[in-house]
Amino acid sequence: MALKKLLLQIALILFLGLIIGLGINFPLVQKYFLGDFRFGFISLDEYSSIMFITLGEAEELFSEGEALFIDSRPKEAFQAGHIMRAVNIPFEEYKKEKALDLIFLPPEGTVVIYCDGSECNSSVELAKVLHKKGLLDIRIFFGGWIEWTGEGLPVSSEK
Amino acid sequence: MDRGRAACIFGKMISNKYILIAFRLIVGGMFIWAGVSKIIDPLGFAQNIANYRVFPEGISFFLALVLPWIELICGVFLILGIFRYASALLLSGFLAVFLVLITVTIIRGIDIDCGCFGSLSAKVDYKLIIEDSVLLFFSLNIYFSHKEEQIRSK
Repeated sequence: MALKKLLLQIALILFLGLIIGLGINFPLVQKYFLGDFRFGFISLDEYSSIMFITLGEAEELFSEGEALFIDSRPKEAFQAGHIMRAVNIPFEEYKKEKALDLIFLPPEGTVVIYCDGSECNSSVELAKVLHKKGLLDIRIFFGGWIEWTGEGLPVSSEK
Repeated sequence: MDRGRAACIFGKMISNKYILIAFRLIVGGMFIWAGVSKIIDPLGFAQNIANYRVFPEGISFFLALVLPWIELICGVFLILGIFRYASALLLSGFLAVFLVLITVTIIRGIDIDCGCFGSLSAKVDYKLIIEDSVLLFFSLNIYFSHKEEQIRSK
């Protein structure tokens, strides 16, 4: 009997949490079912300058030659190989060294940020930082290094 | 394991009701803080969960919306003394799962923020295992004090 009461109370707490959590975040739930957050958990209303792009779009921006490609992976990974003409802003290292505040990039112009691929998160985190710095056109190439090299597109290395 | 025996083992450690109140305040307070810090940034927490690379994106998303509220409710209930044993048992379950997740993440060598306290989270490391174990010990004590009461009343 006591166990039954205990389980009932646990169920009630879980139910309360479920109702309040989903109720208060209902706009996010709606967005989720409309297809948002497929690439990353970021509100594109809040970060209006950020856009997720595919390999095809990244390739097009690369061949136009106007956009600045930013590699947010660690320094060693960048040195071993990166998208041709990309610059390295190693997000985790800069975050540790509190060097993110020192980054300066002109607000106009397009930047394309990438990291390893869909499982890494540093490109999204760096994009948020750059958005706060006032950059107006930030693209996150979600397929990243894995997709780029998978297609045999131009790369270079520091070695 | 024999429940009565387990209760007795814990019972010996929790006979002091003031210590139990302190445990409730500590565990309850920690979970209120943990819950609120995640409630204010559900998408950030969803990303934190996804970073563990254990759950699919959809589950990470819905967990991030609901889990912080359950933590907050349990924390408040624990302090106020409402459903305190159910809250303690539920939080013990969460802490046990967190412990497994943290250990697996360390073994897999994934370097991430734990996501325990929203943007104020520490990195996943051995220190976190100790913190979680202490909290688990406190909350199990609270839960087993219920068994102790039952044994005494018999």
